[in-house]
Amino acid sequence: MANVVHMAMDGLPDQVDELQALYRLTDSLYRAQSLDDVYAAALDAITLTLGCARASILLFDDAGVMRFVAWRGLSDGYRTAVDGHTPWKLGQSGAEAIFVRDIDDTSEPQHLKDTIKGEGIRGLAFIPLESHGRVVGKFMTYYEAPHVFTEHERELAVTIARQVGFSVERAYNEVARQHAEAQLRESETRFRLMSENAPVMIWMSDQQGGCLHLNRMLRDFWGVDEDKIASFDWRSMMDAADAARITSEIDRAFAERRPVKINGRYRDAGGRLRVLETSAQPRFDRAGQFLGMIGINVDVTERELLLAELNHRVKNTLAIVQGIAYQTFKGVDETVRKAFDGRLVALSVAHRLLTETSWENASLEKLVADTMQIVASHAGRIQVSGINVLLTPRHALAIGIALHELLTNAVKYGALSNDTGHVDLTWSVSAGEDRKLRLVWSEKGGPEVLKPSRRGFGSILLEQTLAGDLSGEVSTDYRPDGLVCTIEFSLRG
Amino acid sequence: MMDLRDKRILLVEDEALIAAMVSEMLSDLGATVVGPAGSVQNALALAQSANFDAALLDVNLRGERVDPVADVLIERSIPVLFASGYGAAASHGRAVIDKPYTQDTLAQGLLAVMAGAK
Repeated sequence: MANVVHMAMDGLPDQVDELQALYRLTDSLYRAQSLDDVYAAALDAITLTLGCARASILLFDDAGVMRFVAWRGLSDGYRTAVDGHTPWKLGQSGAEAIFVRDIDDTSEPQHLKDTIKGEGIRGLAFIPLESHGRVVGKFMTYYEAPHVFTEHERELAVTIARQVGFSVERAYNEVARQHAEAQLRESETRFRLMSENAPVMIWMSDQQGGCLHLNRMLRDFWGVDEDKIASFDWRSMMDAADAARITSEIDRAFAERRPVKINGRYRDAGGRLRVLETSAQPRFDRAGQFLGMIGINVDVTERELLLAELNHRVKNTLAIVQGIAYQTFKGVDETVRKAFDGRLVALSVAHRLLTETSWENASLEKLVADTMQIVASHAGRIQVSGINVLLTPRHALAIGIALHELLTNAVKYGALSNDTGHVDLTWSVSAGEDRKLRLVWSEKGGPEVLKPSRRGFGSILLEQTLAGDLSGEVSTDYRPDGLVCTIEFSLRG
Repeated sequence: MMDLRDKRILLVEDEALIAAMVSEMLSDLGATVVGPAGSVQNALALAQSANFDAALLDVNLRGERVDPVADVLIERSIPVLFASGYGAAASHGRAVIDKPYTQDTLAQGLLAVMAGAK
């Protein structure tokens, strides 16, 4: 309002022109589609309201150098000569406009004064353009004669600068947004291209497990057209025998929003049963909201068949070895043959458990249960307790054979050789870095124990072979009330 | 001691060394061995006409599945125990013992299928 009161004293026609120019500036800035539109509108408003024929707009570039971005009435030579000149640094706050009556009044270097006067300029003004209160550039007005800037002109200049600064900021934001959008589009295109041509099946689901994206290989596998993905129900492709297991595991992963890895059988588009190995990860947006899962399926049918075939052949070979031993041991003490049988079967049990997990690991709980089945049942006389632990193949084979030795020894001489004895088999894992497994086989209630005078194959197998295979320690304590065998080794080793 | 006295057992196994061993295990348990048959064709002939109380079938005979033999036996209501190197996972609900097996496991398996059939 102060401007208007001031204007009223100067005369109404000027005031009307000026208001019109400012309105036009506001309107043009509002409609501006590009930075060039902003510059043009600003130069119009500056030249009209400040009564100068020449003006320019300069902005800091990415390297922090002040550059001309728009101008009226300046020669190429002049612009090149003063390029980069600025009274402020990029990002400076609290910058004040500088109004110069005559360049000769200033303490600028002589060569700069000469350049400016050479362009026919005497009076000039530097008005900072700010974004978020920090200098991003300036606009300049030029007069051919020395020029005294009135208070009113100064206020006008600052008002225009404020408007232009705001528009530049808005345009910058828009450019940054478009840039980010283009990058996002490009990254999406890249993902799509990669996904479409990947030699594995890739999918993306919503929060409920509904399909959002299936790559070409997966669409071909299930015979789904691209426009039918949303209505496609992958659950209908599960083999009936696996459906309950797959559904409960997948549902739990969705409920708990955690990664999941699961093998299962599904029908493909041709109705053939295939084994898919699915690995999925939960997806979250930036606010941490769960969006669904992204996963890959690998067809492992051939791999599983090969592994089953290999296992079958190994076990058949073990059975043939057993047959050879049978013939070889004919006429020899029958207990020798039976001991051999047991050891061979113990090896085979560990082998089978390992094959079930593609030779990744074997559960100690299962290994114990299956190994204890080898010798005719002593159900109820072997107490087993321990948390479930996964063993490496090397450890599983060694422990399987060790448990079998302990069991047969107990049946022949120890706690299971009478009707009243029993065995406690317990294990625990230490909390330390190396995760030590401590397994204790403890017999009670058998006949009185005498330390064997001769070391049999069984104890050699236990104390030497086993300790070596496990890189651990095995101790057998022949206590009078029952044998105690302690096996200790690091699960990491 | 588990006992297969007076039982007649059809043995289907293609590996001669294994067949010889299992025959001995069965005789040792008091059973009479029918066979052994080493091919699906020979096994089918015995399965259709011979008299026995139970059958032990190797699931795979020189690359051929033993299933046609099992079908005939099931039709005749004769208990069947399979022996397999593929593990119990591939048993499809049938009675299976895992190869290699001990004499005890063999006896338990045969007694179990015969008890189930009664």
